[in-house]
This record gives sequence, C-alpha cells and structure tokens, in this order.
Amino acid sequence: MGDRSTRFLWPILGLPAMVWIALFFLIPLYVVFCVAFGAVDPIFRTPIPIWNPLEWQFTQVQVVWDRLFGPNNFYLPAVLRTFLYVAIAVVACLLIAFPVAYFTARYAGKYRGLVLALLVAPFFISYMMRMLAWINLLQPDGLVNSIITLGGVVPLDINWLSGNPYVVVMGLIYGYVPYMLLPLFAALDRISPSLIEAARDLGASGFDLFRRVILPMSLPGIVAGTLLISLPMMGDYFTSDMLSKSPNTAMIGNLINLSIATPGQSGQAGALLILVLLVLLVPMVLYTRSNAKAEVRS
Amino acid sequence: MSGSPHRPVSRRRLLQTSALALPGAWALAACARDQPLSGPTGASSAGGSASGSAAPTPAGIPIASPQNPVKWPINPGNEPIASGLEPEANATLRIYNYPDYLDKAVIKDFQKEYADYNVTVEVSTFNDYPEALTKIRGGSSPYDVTFMSYNYIGRLVYGDLIRPLNHDYIDNIADVWEEFQNPWYDLEWQYTVPYVIYTTGIGWRSDLIPEDIGARPDPYDVFWDTKYAGEIAVLDDDREVIGMTILRDGGTDVNTADPAVLGAARDAMLEMLSLSQPRVTISGYTDIPEGVLSLSQCWSGDMITGQNYMPDGVDPSVLRYWSPPDGRGLLNNDFICVLKGGENPVLSHHFLNYMLGTEVSLKNFSWVGYQPPLRSLTPESMVADGYLPENLSAAVVKPEWFQVGYPVLELPPEVEAEYQAIWQQFKAGA
Repeated sequence: MGDRSTRFLWPILGLPAMVWIALFFLIPLYVVFCVAFGAVDPIFRTPIPIWNPLEWQFTQVQVVWDRLFGPNNFYLPAVLRTFLYVAIAVVACLLIAFPVAYFTARYAGKYRGLVLALLVAPFFISYMMRMLAWINLLQPDGLVNSIITLGGVVPLDINWLSGNPYVVVMGLIYGYVPYMLLPLFAALDRISPSLIEAARDLGASGFDLFRRVILPMSLPGIVAGTLLISLPMMGDYFTSDMLSKSPNTAMIGNLINLSIATPGQSGQAGALLILVLLVLLVPMVLYTRSNAKAEVRS
Repeated sequence: MSGSPHRPVSRRRLLQTSALALPGAWALAACARDQPLSGPTGASSAGGSASGSAAPTPAGIPIASPQNPVKWPINPGNEPIASGLEPEANATLRIYNYPDYLDKAVIKDFQKEYADYNVTVEVSTFNDYPEALTKIRGGSSPYDVTFMSYNYIGRLVYGDLIRPLNHDYIDNIADVWEEFQNPWYDLEWQYTVPYVIYTTGIGWRSDLIPEDIGARPDPYDVFWDTKYAGEIAVLDDDREVIGMTILRDGGTDVNTADPAVLGAARDAMLEMLSLSQPRVTISGYTDIPEGVLSLSQCWSGDMITGQNYMPDGVDPSVLRYWSPPDGRGLLNNDFICVLKGGENPVLSHHFLNYMLGTEVSLKNFSWVGYQPPLRSLTPESMVADGYLPENLSAAVVKPEWFQVGYPVLELPPEVEAEYQAIWQQFKAGA
C-alpha cells in the first residue's frame, strides 16, 4: 500500500509545475510557431495563426533566413554584433563577479548573508529604472561627465549616449552582473575549506590553488551563471534602446522588437525568435547533459 | 506580409502596381457606394495572401490622396445617429490616443462643462497606430473616440470600426480652414474632424549647433554631415525618414513605388548610418531641449512643446526649427473620429465639437504644441499673440502649403512591404 501511495505522490507534487509549464511556456511557444508559420490579414496586416501544422506556410521563415544568409543578409551584422556584445559582457561579468563572490564566500564570515543581500540590493529596482538612471548619469551635463571634466575644468566633450557600443555593453554588464554573482557564490560557498587547507598543506601556491582546486570546483557555477545571463542578453533589446537608440548598436532583440511593431511582420518576429531559440538550445542541452553526468558521478 | 520581401519584386511588377493603384483606386472609390461590404470577415478569409498571391489593394480599399479624393461609403446598419439627442448621462467617455497628445486640463474642462450629465472621461494611450487598430478591432475596450492619421481611414471604414458623423452636433466646424471641411481623405467630412496639422523638418539648439541649418543649399544634407556624427537623430518612423531621403535626393513623390528611387533612398540611408551615426527616436521634443541631441529630424509641434522641457539655465530661445519655407516638404494632419464600438455616440459628438471650439483648441495647442487648422488662429498672428516665440516662427503651418506639400499616403501592401524592408535594413544597422 505504501508503495502505491508514494508512486502517485511525486507525480502529483510535480503536477502544478507541469501545468504551469504547459500553460505559460508550451502553449505560448506553440502560438509563436503558428504565427511564424501562419498567414497575414491582407487589410489589417495582423497575424492569422495557422493552428494545423500540416498547413503551415514557410514564407516568413524564408524571409528571415534570406536576411540572415541570403545575398542581402542585412540581419547578419546585428546577429554577429549581439554575439560579440554578449561574449564581452559575459567575460566582464565573470571577472567582476568572481572575486566578489569568492571573497564573500570565504571571508565575510557570519556577515556573508548580509553582504550578499547588500550586493544584490540595488538590483531589486526594476531594470528600466536602472537604465533610466544611467541615462541621467551619462547625459552631456550628467554626473559622469562632470566628474571626468572635474566640474567643467577639463575641456572634454563626451556624449556617452550617442550610440556608443561600449555604453551598451556596459549597460548589459551592469544589468546582468548579479545573476552571475549568485550562482558563483553558491558554487564557491560549497567548496569545503578543508580542501583548500589540504591543497595548501601539500604545497600549492596561490595560483596553483586557484587553478587546480577552486576553478574546477566552481565550474558548474561559472557555466550556470554564463547561461543564466547570456540567454536573456541574447534577446535583450531594451539596453540598446535606452542607452543608444542607434541602429549601429542594434541587437537581435531589436530586430525582433521592430518586426513585432511593424504591421504584417509578426510572423517574421516569430521566425526570428524560433531561430534564436534553436541556436540557444544547443548550449542548454549541453549544460543539462553535463549536469546530469556530474550528478551521476557524484 | 504579402511575401514579397524575400523575393525581390520585379521592376515591372512594381510599376504595374503603382500604375494600377491610382486609377484603380479611383474606379473603386466611385463604385464603392453601390457595393455590399464584406468588412473584416471577408478580409480574414483571404489569409492565403501570405503565400505570395498578388493582392493589389486588398478587398478593393481605395487609397485617398489629394489627386484622388475619396468619399467613403456608409456601411448598411452604420448610419449616423439622429439629431437632437441628449448626451448619455453618467457616462464614461473612453478616449484612445497617443500619450502627451491631448491637454489634461482640456479634459477636465470638458468634464466640468458636462457636469450636469455627470460625465467622466477616461484616456487610454497607444504607442502607434498599428497597435491602436489591433486593439480597436479586438473590441475588448469600448473606446468612444480616437485620434488617427489618414493612412488608416480606409481600414477604419471598411472594418466597420468608425461611425459616420451627424453634422448637426458639430457647429464648431465653421471655424476650421475650408480645405479641412471637405478634406481629400474624407470628402464631406463624413467620418472625421481635423485635429492638428504639422510639418516634418529639422529641430536643433542654436547654442550647440551655431550653424544656420536652413541656410544650407539643401538643409537635409545635415544628416549626412560627419561634422555632427553622434549628436543627431532621425524620427523613428519609416515613412518620415524614407520620405525625407527622397526629398533630399531631389524627388517629390514620397509615396513612390519606383524601385530605382527606393533603392537609391535605401543606399543613401545606409550611407547616413556610416557618416553621421544617427540615433532613431521620436523623443526629440525632450532630447533636443535637454541637449542629449543637438539636432534631430522632428515634427513642427515638437520644438514648440520642447520649450517646456528646457533644463534650468538654458533659454528656450536657443530652439530652432526648419522645414521647407515654400511648404514643399512633408506635411500631414491627424483627425478625431467616433468609434463604432463606443457606448456613448452622442457624447462623443459633443466631444468632437468641444475640441473644435476656438478657446479649447488654443488651450490644447499651447500644451501639445501642435497647431489646429482654425481660422481664428491665423499663421501671421501666432507669433504676435504669443503662441510661438520668434525663434520658432518656422514651425507655423500655413494653409497654402496644403496645395504644394507632400502628404504621406497609405500604400498598396506590396509597396508597403518594400518600405518596411528598407526600414528594417536601416534599423538593423547594416
């Protein structure tokens, strides 16, 4: 009897999550597919989803494909730009977050909960508000310029908001660094101090300790943090919209956003989204597989 | 999407379309009154157009233009309301509009004036017309009144989304400029009353850009000038930027379907990206006053309202505006109309009449910065009467310009797709 009750217990406990995923992920995703492979109302230019996969049309996907890989592939630079921005931002987030997470985990002692909360506190404010704050700081007569020019003494005229790619990458770094910090902290916190002491006792130098003990053991945290921030960054349109507004810094997210806003092109937005999804699925699958393997090993 | 962007539309196909568009539209407009209307249901069943089948003007919606004025049909069952009705009591008048495009004080005054009927006004906002059209069609909110541009009127009529007006309720039309009492986009103003008029030009701050932009042989060239790289912006609107580029290249047809002209415009816009790295935004009305931008393509109302956004210590007299002084530039107007889905048609008529009232119109103008086409507001007197400062006198729109200016018209879907493709390439930064 006991066996039977536990056999149903876990699926029942899992049911809410499965319903949640079906309602808010699988069904919407299916709608995106039906729009991407659907038709368009010829008068109002609104999407007409085609619900039956057997009748799907591939016109919109073809349009997007041609813009990516055809002779006039004007989407490609934005895609490459996005990968570049995301790569730089991820590396920078890692360089910023790793030491912070390490010292919080190892040296903050009984205050580390508090330190961690304080580090993450600014990020309780909405992303939009933080970007608006940056606009204020970076304006021609903003705080950043008055510090750089020492209150106007040094004759420097820098317009940070003039479609500057560095500013967009900076915005990405600032926006996503806490999501790197938390998984890194979790991973570093798990490293047993006795392992570190053992490495020291066996004569490891500081660098060896880092390279042979800390880095390998924090790898799951690094991978998790990298995925956690690079996935949303890939679809981010807001940072470029707020801090640049220039086509020269357009990212994939901006292309999708523009297609959604253009009458008759919701299907293309869906097609772009599916392509991004397919590309991002590869690292996701690799990650879950490596995680599963790691669990089996442990 | 008609499926054209992925296959380059052949020149012959485009020429055919453009050649067909005008006479075809005229013929359709002429016979439209006798035709039974299918409305949006007929349209959605034609969804197969995405597979690439030709759809010249879908369901035969005529395209109105100054050369091809259109009198829209009155759909059966959508006759104007009767005369002499009392406004609905205890009503909530739902207005659907752009943000910052209607003075809140004017709304409050309206509620006061109709206090006997216990009227409440609720303003909802949209970001752009496509969004507005989608929500109006969705019908989840019974909006009474909306503000639109004439390149949507065909869809509003044929979708059975707006109500024809009963002119008995709208005496204040008498003060409107004559050409707007019988506008080409709605002959005999059956469905609309005009709201505001505006040119598209260039706005800048003279302390940041000391040059007199208007004195250049071709002022539009400023957007291709490396000298101002990073300091300038163009409007976030495909038709305005493509239109401006066509004018700069010496063209006059800002609604062209000619692939050669459009191709040249695209190349010029991409050149602009690399030369001056413009931003793309409609927030010039705050960005120029605040100095975030030194110069931007903008609408005439932007600089007038921009005076309210000057930072401390900067005099609004540094604001400048230029549009072609002979009126041969982008020139447009928006209108107000009553939505069929609204619950208060009589009160809506009263609201339209109220908005055309001289005092109300002027009050609204001094807040939104966009000029109403009223006889009592003569262009000559606007500066003298203090509605505009001398430095922005170029932002005044003159009646005679409507004889020579270039309105942005609705396009056949295939041509529209070409414009959209150019715009997407521009905005992708490639």
